[in-house]
Amino acid sequence: MTSAFSGLTNALAALNVQRYGLEVTGQNIANANTPGYTRQRAELAAVGPATGVAALYATQHPNGSVTVSGTTRLNDPMIDVRARTEHGDNGYRQTTATVLSSVETLFDEPSDHGLAEQLNDFWNSWAAVANNPGDLAARNVVLQKAASLATSLNQSSANLDRLTQSVAQQATAATLEINTAAAALAQLNGEIAVATASGTNTNALADQRDSLLMQLADLTGAQTTVLANGTATVSIGGQNLVASTTATTVSLSPANQILVGGTPAGPAGGELQGLVDSLTTALPGYAAQLDAVAAALANTVNAGQTGGYDLAGNPGGPLFAGSTAATLSVAVTNPAALAASGAAGGNLDGSVALGMSQLGGSNSGADAAYRSLVGTLATDVQRAVQQASIQQAVTNSVDELAQSSAGVSFDEETTNLLTYQRAYQASSRVLTTVDEILDTLISHTGRVGL
Amino acid sequence: MMRVTVGSASRGALAGLQADASRLANLQKQITSGRQITKPSDSPTGTVTALQLRSQLKQLHQYQANATDALGWLTTVDSSLHSITSQLQQVRSLVLQGMNTGTGNATSNEALAQQVDQARASLLSLANSSYLGRPVFGGTTAGDVAFDAAGSYVGDTGTVARTVGPNNAIDLNTPGTAAFGANGSNLFDLLKDISANLRTNPSGLGANLQQLDSRQVAITNEQSLAGAKYQRIQSVQNTANTNRVQLKSQLSDLQEIDLADMAIQVTSANAAYQAALATTAKVSQISLLDFLR
Repeated sequence: MTSAFSGLTNALAALNVQRYGLEVTGQNIANANTPGYTRQRAELAAVGPATGVAALYATQHPNGSVTVSGTTRLNDPMIDVRARTEHGDNGYRQTTATVLSSVETLFDEPSDHGLAEQLNDFWNSWAAVANNPGDLAARNVVLQKAASLATSLNQSSANLDRLTQSVAQQATAATLEINTAAAALAQLNGEIAVATASGTNTNALADQRDSLLMQLADLTGAQTTVLANGTATVSIGGQNLVASTTATTVSLSPANQILVGGTPAGPAGGELQGLVDSLTTALPGYAAQLDAVAAALANTVNAGQTGGYDLAGNPGGPLFAGSTAATLSVAVTNPAALAASGAAGGNLDGSVALGMSQLGGSNSGADAAYRSLVGTLATDVQRAVQQASIQQAVTNSVDELAQSSAGVSFDEETTNLLTYQRAYQASSRVLTTVDEILDTLISHTGRVGL
Repeated sequence: MMRVTVGSASRGALAGLQADASRLANLQKQITSGRQITKPSDSPTGTVTALQLRSQLKQLHQYQANATDALGWLTTVDSSLHSITSQLQQVRSLVLQGMNTGTGNATSNEALAQQVDQARASLLSLANSSYLGRPVFGGTTAGDVAFDAAGSYVGDTGTVARTVGPNNAIDLNTPGTAAFGANGSNLFDLLKDISANLRTNPSGLGANLQQLDSRQVAITNEQSLAGAKYQRIQSVQNTANTNRVQLKSQLSDLQEIDLADMAIQVTSANAAYQAALATTAKVSQISLLDFLR
């Protein structure tokens, strides 16, 4: 037989449990907009009869109590893993697309003032000299156009350099961010291990851990393993970044290789890899192509000039000095020193100037090199932007999946609120009823007929 | 079934709104700039083609400038040679008069000789006609004249080329030696000879007349050659004009927007954006809380 008072205890337990359910619901609602918060659920369990008790003393019926067996984080670990992978890839693609788009803004084509148009103007200015080799004004125009070409190339090169420097700074900033997150994760790992061992609720810590893991995934595309005790191990490109409570540091070698604790890491992902790839491949590639434009310009023009004769009949000298985009400059200051004539002796032959005016059509000249640079850049940017937008869509859908299991729904919480409220009301009715029974038993027993 | 949560609903709504807004902004950018290709990655092949077309257009423009310049040069050549021809006709009649008079009348022959001298001076000036400061019969000489005061050629035989089309350089030069003869036996030597013969040896005038006629033929030849070049350049110019129109329309197809098409796209993008805004505003207002007392 059960004790007459057990009904009171049971009702009290029920009241406590329903109130706890209400509290968890309240917490969910309060944190509906908290980034990284995972909704929680109070797990209720019916309390059965004690086992292993001799039949003589055992109750024949379950005693009808309830208890909170735990508070579960309702995330989906599989989706979380996928989300981190996609975020790593997304960080890489977005960063690459951003850097390449910045490069693209340096080459404003097709336009009326881009380098292609300046080249056209330069070649055409030679045609004017060919028509009138004795005209110093026409020769001066050539010098002006040559100077503006050289300046444009110098500027493009300087802009590309500045962009490279700013990308390098971003990469350094990213390593600092990674190291801060890794250190925080290592510390958190320690707290989670202790909390798990002592049986404390680790849900809030786990939320913080997952936020840090996501941040690291965005930055580095890190591989993550969450162990049974709730601690996380993180590795980048095969090198351990965080294991238990130790965090190593990420840095960049002078050649822009990712080092984890001083050891070169394999290809990773995330923003850092995007920045590093831009620094080691994309940006130097465009700089080299720009240099090729400058070299082609200097070579073709200088070769034409040294084969000709200037206004006074002396052999012509190189028009451009320097052979890289950064160093290209105009070496001639006297317009009469431009070679326009194909024959010595100080005549007004314009055959060399005519040849110069047609260099723009050459397939190996500066124009073709520049078109190839712009074409390559445009294709690269287009591909990077497309890949980034595809990856963004994939990432968004995975995020939505993760949100779908971990996010708070007001309709659902409101329903829970109602459920727990009703259960609380019913439990208190049980308490009142038991109380009335006991009242009958205690106050009215033996007073029959009074 | 996928749960819809506060986060996923707002995230989805925001992503949709942003996509619509960015589509609208892109269209707006194209319309305000008037160009389909606002940056190379909008169309890599289009960009490269546009660069090529622009370079061709610029070159065509320069070809046309060259052709105009060439026509100016040839006009000078033509009008000089034309005047020279008519002056030579007068000289010819003077020579004929001299032959008729013979040795009989020294005074009259002296007058004829003086007229020939006058004509020589005027022809020398015509042979030194210049275009933009360059003697048109002087080849590529850096000097101001093709013939010096003594009537000997001081120009050269260099080419005066004008490129009027791709691989189409036309040599405009009419070397003074071709039109007026080689030094020692050129037109001015001949005229000097005629003037001397009129004064002292009218019997030599018969031979002079033949030489004058053959010189006249050479000059007419050069004049017709210049005329042929003129025609050739004109026809090239006509072709270039047609070409330019074609290139421009190609470039415009490639670069510029189709306003009507854009207007339709903007209207539909705008409608989509407004619809998204309206539904987002309505849907996100409703929850179970609205229906609980």
